[in-house]
Amino acid sequence: MAGLVRTVGRRFFSAKATTGLTGMAVAKDPHVALRVLYTKTLAALEKLPKDAAYRQHTEGIINDRFDLVKTVPDVEELERKINCGQIEQVIIQAEAELSLARKMADWKAWEPLVSEPPEGQWKWP
Amino acid sequence: MAACLGRLLHSSGNLLRNGGEHRFAHLKRQAFHAGARALCSNASGGLTTIRPQDEVMRNQLTVFGEYVAECLPKYVQTVQVTSQNELEVLISPEGVVPVLSFLKDHHNAQFKSLADIACVDMPTKPYRFELVYMLMSLTYNSRIRVRTYTDEITPIESCYSVFKAADWYEREAWDMYGVYFSNHPDLRRILTDYGFEGHPFRKDFPLSGYVEIRYDNELKRIVQEPVELAQEFRKFDLSSTWETFPAHRQGSKPLMDTQGRGHEAPLEENPAEEKK
Repeated sequence: MAGLVRTVGRRFFSAKATTGLTGMAVAKDPHVALRVLYTKTLAALEKLPKDAAYRQHTEGIINDRFDLVKTVPDVEELERKINCGQIEQVIIQAEAELSLARKMADWKAWEPLVSEPPEGQWKWP
Repeated sequence: MAACLGRLLHSSGNLLRNGGEHRFAHLKRQAFHAGARALCSNASGGLTTIRPQDEVMRNQLTVFGEYVAECLPKYVQTVQVTSQNELEVLISPEGVVPVLSFLKDHHNAQFKSLADIACVDMPTKPYRFELVYMLMSLTYNSRIRVRTYTDEITPIESCYSVFKAADWYEREAWDMYGVYFSNHPDLRRILTDYGFEGHPFRKDFPLSGYVEIRYDNELKRIVQEPVELAQEFRKFDLSSTWETFPAHRQGSKPLMDTQGRGHEAPLEENPAEEKK
């Protein structure tokens, strides 16, 4: 979807007319939205212990994407570099990860196994 | 689509089994190949009837399974990949909502679609009902199964807050098996008749049921009466008189190995040919 890119100041606005997906509106300013979401997610991840695998992997993913958001001003090029669908879909993924990171702190999912299965429970047939 | 999986660290406590019921699949495959090469090969000596194994897919699923076990060590008991390259995560019942939320929301998982919730009744097991959640990821074109266990009286957390589709699937599990879901918005019967008593898919529920209905001309309505079979129920023994899978026999050595050689006396060694 090549198109003219309007610029206002330093920021680029996507000239996309539509995402092509029902119910998904074009994001007005994806860089700002992603910046806010990634910052909040990293703050939520700070509450988990440093050695938790979930925190390490998620921080890696978020930091990679955050770096791309900070360095790539053009929206289409950002979509291509992140390589996970359209930027609106990336925003939805970021919102999901934020809510998950907050819930993980409540569940404490990094602790060791809470209950072993009884003998023979998983034997098949 | 992007394979956004990060580099994995070695997982700590959880077991990874390749093909639960085919635990020694790699051993068996070599022996089977050796025997099969003699039995089914074409003129040039190539194997013709061996099902091709997708090792790449299997490795990807194994890697992702280890990743899930590593991120959620509190709930994941085992992870296995079946012989048909299907990933299964076996969890404890306290972890239904956390594991499903993780699989739905996490960047590397994104299993946004709940395809089905099935229940399996195995009365011989300590927790007789096994719940199977089947998830599908559209971004990564991948499926995963999450399995837990419960019994008749232990409630399990409803995943309606994670997947709205779970509404009717859990109603069906309740109606057919009697698995109770806590925090479900509307847990009532969905498939059985309005006054129906019992849970029909349980193994101890008879095939003909307990009641039958007929139209009563005096009362001018349908009445329920205890079922009367015209003929005594016949149970056929459909199992073959010959042993079908000597290599999968529980607990004892097969009488003959895969090469067709019998044993006169019990063998002390050679574990490659004696399978359990």
